[in-house]
Amino acid sequence: MSVYTSRNKIGKKLLIHLLLIAGALVMIAPFVWMVVTSLKSLGESTQVPPVILPTKYQWENYTHIFEMLPFLDFYWNTVITTVAKVVGQVFLCSLAAYAFARIEFPGRNALFILFLTVLMVPGQVFLLPQFMIMKELGWLNTLTALIVPGLFSAFGTFLLRQFFMSLPKELEEAAKLDGCNHFQIYWRIMLPLAKPGLIALAIFVALWSWNDLMWPLIVNSTPDKMPLSAGLAYLTGEHTNLTNYPILMAGSVLAIWPMIIVFIFLQKHFVEGITLTGSK
Amino acid sequence: MKKLVSIAMAALLVAVAGCSGGGQSSAPAGTTGSAASGEKVTLTYALWDKNQMPAMEEMAKKFNEKNPNVDIKIELTPNKQYWTKMEAAATGGTLPDIFWINGPRIIKYADNDMLLPITDQIKADGIDLNNYPKALVDLYTYDGQNYALPKDFDTIGLWYNKKLFDDAKVPYPDETWDWNKLKEVAKQLTDEKKGVWGIAAPPYGQDGFYNTIFQNGGYIISEDKKTSGYDKPETIEGLKFWTDLINEKASPTAAQLSETEATQLFESGKIAMMYNGSWMASAFHKNEYTKDKVDVTYLPKGKENTSVIHGLGNVISANTKHPKEAWEFVKFLGSKEGAEILAKSGAAIPAFNGTQDTWVQSMPNFNLKIFIDQAAVAKPYPISKDTAKWAKLETELMTKAWAGQMSVEDASKELAQKMNEMLSQE
Repeated sequence: MSVYTSRNKIGKKLLIHLLLIAGALVMIAPFVWMVVTSLKSLGESTQVPPVILPTKYQWENYTHIFEMLPFLDFYWNTVITTVAKVVGQVFLCSLAAYAFARIEFPGRNALFILFLTVLMVPGQVFLLPQFMIMKELGWLNTLTALIVPGLFSAFGTFLLRQFFMSLPKELEEAAKLDGCNHFQIYWRIMLPLAKPGLIALAIFVALWSWNDLMWPLIVNSTPDKMPLSAGLAYLTGEHTNLTNYPILMAGSVLAIWPMIIVFIFLQKHFVEGITLTGSK
Repeated sequence: MKKLVSIAMAALLVAVAGCSGGGQSSAPAGTTGSAASGEKVTLTYALWDKNQMPAMEEMAKKFNEKNPNVDIKIELTPNKQYWTKMEAAATGGTLPDIFWINGPRIIKYADNDMLLPITDQIKADGIDLNNYPKALVDLYTYDGQNYALPKDFDTIGLWYNKKLFDDAKVPYPDETWDWNKLKEVAKQLTDEKKGVWGIAAPPYGQDGFYNTIFQNGGYIISEDKKTSGYDKPETIEGLKFWTDLINEKASPTAAQLSETEATQLFESGKIAMMYNGSWMASAFHKNEYTKDKVDVTYLPKGKENTSVIHGLGNVISANTKHPKEAWEFVKFLGSKEGAEILAKSGAAIPAFNGTQDTWVQSMPNFNLKIFIDQAAVAKPYPISKDTAKWAKLETELMTKAWAGQMSVEDASKELAQKMNEMLSQE
């Protein structure tokens, strides 16, 4: 009897693992294909039926990229904007969120609803007004234009406000009795407790910032002021048939490896972030 | 809640309106005249093709050598996002001084006073417009005004795979071919077992049915841009040329072609012939599978000896602060000297007549001369003020007709009717 159940268990485990392995293969296939294609010649990349492995590995595809486009500028611009936005949003959104969650002030709810309306309007609607603001400030074609509008977000404020709301009020009252002011409560009590929320927000902001394409292309106009996403867009041809896929894939590999590394190290938080916010 | 939302929206709108008002006042429309001589001027020049960047940079450099007080700053935007960016810039009054434009957009931008007419400048400087293919000059003339000097052009040719012809012991296509000959050979070269077809008949306009419609005496849009030609029997026959090829199994089906791009099948040796643009020359030249295996010739003849031509133009923004310098640069871009720089790069066919030989010789393994010869008799790419609107419908309906979901007559007549409604509202 016991032998029978343990066998059954092994069978179940095996089945689960087989399913998981199959799932993993499906997930990883596009990445493998990207890497393999990045080493093909132009002719091999468009063959039907597809050529699986290149006959000769074209490592020079990777050096071509740097000759064709200022890829180092792209890296620098992307890293700077992403870091600035992550730091800015985590700090500024948590400050605003604390105020909305914990400070009673007249018009708080009305102001918060105003905030929420921002979340309800699709991003494209803001594109033009934000462009106009950048123009009036004289920030067109600068890194400032990439960074400043992303230093703060309604989404981040909303996310962290919900988080702060769920923390017990007693902690705050105890701190008040000990003579803490609002900033001290925020800094010493709330922030450490909200760490999972802050990390989740940081991850989302980093991902969005890394992938953002439309905004940089609208406000900036010279390649040296562009991020990696725009750099990849430059590599797509005017007609689809004119795209040099091996070069484009080499560029993609170069563009995403930092995000993959971040993902590997922060896997646990990624998953937490998704369960926390119900979005991805 | 509802009330609050509407208040918020109103506040947002006021803020937006305030911004755009300020924008207009700070950028007066092209009245400030040109800078005094010797004063440094920087002009922005926007374009979308990375492959042409080296040639464009060289032109900017040459121009700067001749006009040391004018610097050209090139702004590159990927093709897909170029027009979104331009629309934002047009609204904000920050259009680049000079930029690339294409046929489908020219009337929209000219009609909204975004562009500087250059008719007077052309006359004053004695520019001979006969130096460019007439169809291109016409494409960029609106309401009797010239808006652009033609930059480059592309025409369509019959590309073919020499190896498939050799294997079947069939002579290569040449200028004697007509529609019937093409059909006959396409059927002959089809070998379903091997998965090889004589021709590919995808539902494309510029590199497909526009050519056969024109050759058959039909048209897409009338010259006054008021009526559609899709209900004319000549036009419908020009469309049927393609669906017949599919029905007679000389081409992959529409479903097969939507799965795999016709060009990809051609590059893989599965298709013996296809209509494709001069823009493919450099890609076929770089591809080791097609470099020595394919060539190109004239389109097979219909009732009329013609085909479609499209090309880009260099235009000047209406609110440039330096209209004089901008015109000097556009003039240089459209000059023989400028055209030769573009020709040498091989990235596009320059529009200036007589400079195209350099391009033809840049890829000697292909018979590229046919693209130049066809330009002389080609008709301009069909456009109206809002080309994109009916072009989208055209793609939808023709895709259905090609897939056999509706007859070509029905699709074409429905398109004519809806297109006429759209045109009457323009």
